[in-house]
Amino acid sequence: MVTVAAARPFPYTFDPATTALLVIDMQRDFLEPGGFGESLGNDVGQLRRTIAPLTALLAGARAAGLTVVHTREGHLPDLSDCPPAKLNRGLPSKRIGDPGPKGRILVRGEYGHDIVDELTPLPGEPVVDKPGKGAFHATDLDALLAERNIHSLLVTGVTTEVCVHTTVREANDRGYECLVLADCVGSYFPEFHRVGLDMIAAQGGIFGWVADSTDVLAVLPTTPVLQPSS
Amino acid sequence: MGRIGPVTANPYPWPYDGTADTARTALLCIDWQTDFCGPGGYVDAMGYDIGLTRAGLPATARLLDHVRSLGMLVVHTREGHDPDLSDLPANKRWRSAQIGAEIGAAGPCGRILVKGEPGWEIVPEVAPAPGEVVVDKPGKGAFYATNLDLVLRTRGITHLILTGITTDVCVHTTMREANDRGYECLILADCTGATDKDNHDAALHMVTMQGGVFGCVATSDAVIAATTR
Repeated sequence: MVTVAAARPFPYTFDPATTALLVIDMQRDFLEPGGFGESLGNDVGQLRRTIAPLTALLAGARAAGLTVVHTREGHLPDLSDCPPAKLNRGLPSKRIGDPGPKGRILVRGEYGHDIVDELTPLPGEPVVDKPGKGAFHATDLDALLAERNIHSLLVTGVTTEVCVHTTVREANDRGYECLVLADCVGSYFPEFHRVGLDMIAAQGGIFGWVADSTDVLAVLPTTPVLQPSS
Repeated sequence: MGRIGPVTANPYPWPYDGTADTARTALLCIDWQTDFCGPGGYVDAMGYDIGLTRAGLPATARLLDHVRSLGMLVVHTREGHDPDLSDLPANKRWRSAQIGAEIGAAGPCGRILVKGEPGWEIVPEVAPAPGEVVVDKPGKGAFYATNLDLVLRTRGITHLILTGITTDVCVHTTMREANDRGYECLILADCTGATDKDNHDAALHMVTMQGGVFGCVATSDAVIAATTR
């Protein structure tokens, strides 16, 4: 067991053998200049600041032998898994499935739907495709984690208050111990990022813990632990 | 059957499809329990101001009267655990102990967040009427480890109006779950409340971003004004 003493609201203790790094929706459409997110007027710089610390954390997690799971939000090409409310809400100028700067927006298999080059999954690392904001809904994530005997999650990705928060809430209800890494999650809206992190640690850690990636890297083993999937 | 909508809401007139059939719309009353808004309950024991979590009770009671007169489905939820705590995750128990209000421990309103205890009951102002659905849930989200989705789909519900406490925790988690499942959601600012005013405001604001990422925000008055029999 190792402990991240700097975590709030309490020190976070985890067993590397039963811990996974979760990398949520680090997709080109959300992060890259010229992508769908930027075309809506968002400042992708707010998300891109996560790439460098997350790259370092990903290397550390792989060296320690942690399970690494990536997620991508997107829909089948025929949009049969996209609820009408999600597709049509707010009469958007660009909607899911429309042609976008990097292919059809939020459609599986399109260039913009895939993960940014800096964080490309390694062969064997699970990539979970999800139709919603939460990574547990309508996916095999829970089964995949149970199969690997994972009890603790180091949570990273975008955006803090939408997909990261929804997934942490789902994971918490399922009994997983979640540590959210403040420098490895990001939002287009800095105020929501801040309050999103505060909410996780509020009321005695109602959804989990918050720390920085350097706090975790300082305590991760540098040689691989034995995980059931190893 | 009656119609509801378009409701004056932020960021778009709700629902997205213009109007909804009241037979396909349900009012969710989330965790209006003594443990969260009554004297001596869990939230009170943690040292928070229950005035904030009780603030939405009058408006919710008035809305309940209205939707009952329309024959709309009302679903109440209660957060709580079995008396042997077999459905209480270890980390949830540990954290509640850290903050001085351990789930399962004896408190002024009985064992904290345990099914059947006085503190776990819904407060009288918004108590379920005979025949209304009550869903017991072990988590923050009302869809996890419950029959809520099945109940709603069996009744043909496609649209949800959310009230309850607390805005940023159980109401928001449930709204996110419902949204992912394709339900068109409306959260009511005056029928919710949080242990922290800033978290209440931020939670409502988050809903309205990106064209309504989880749905819409409105008031109970706007809902009442937008219903026709």
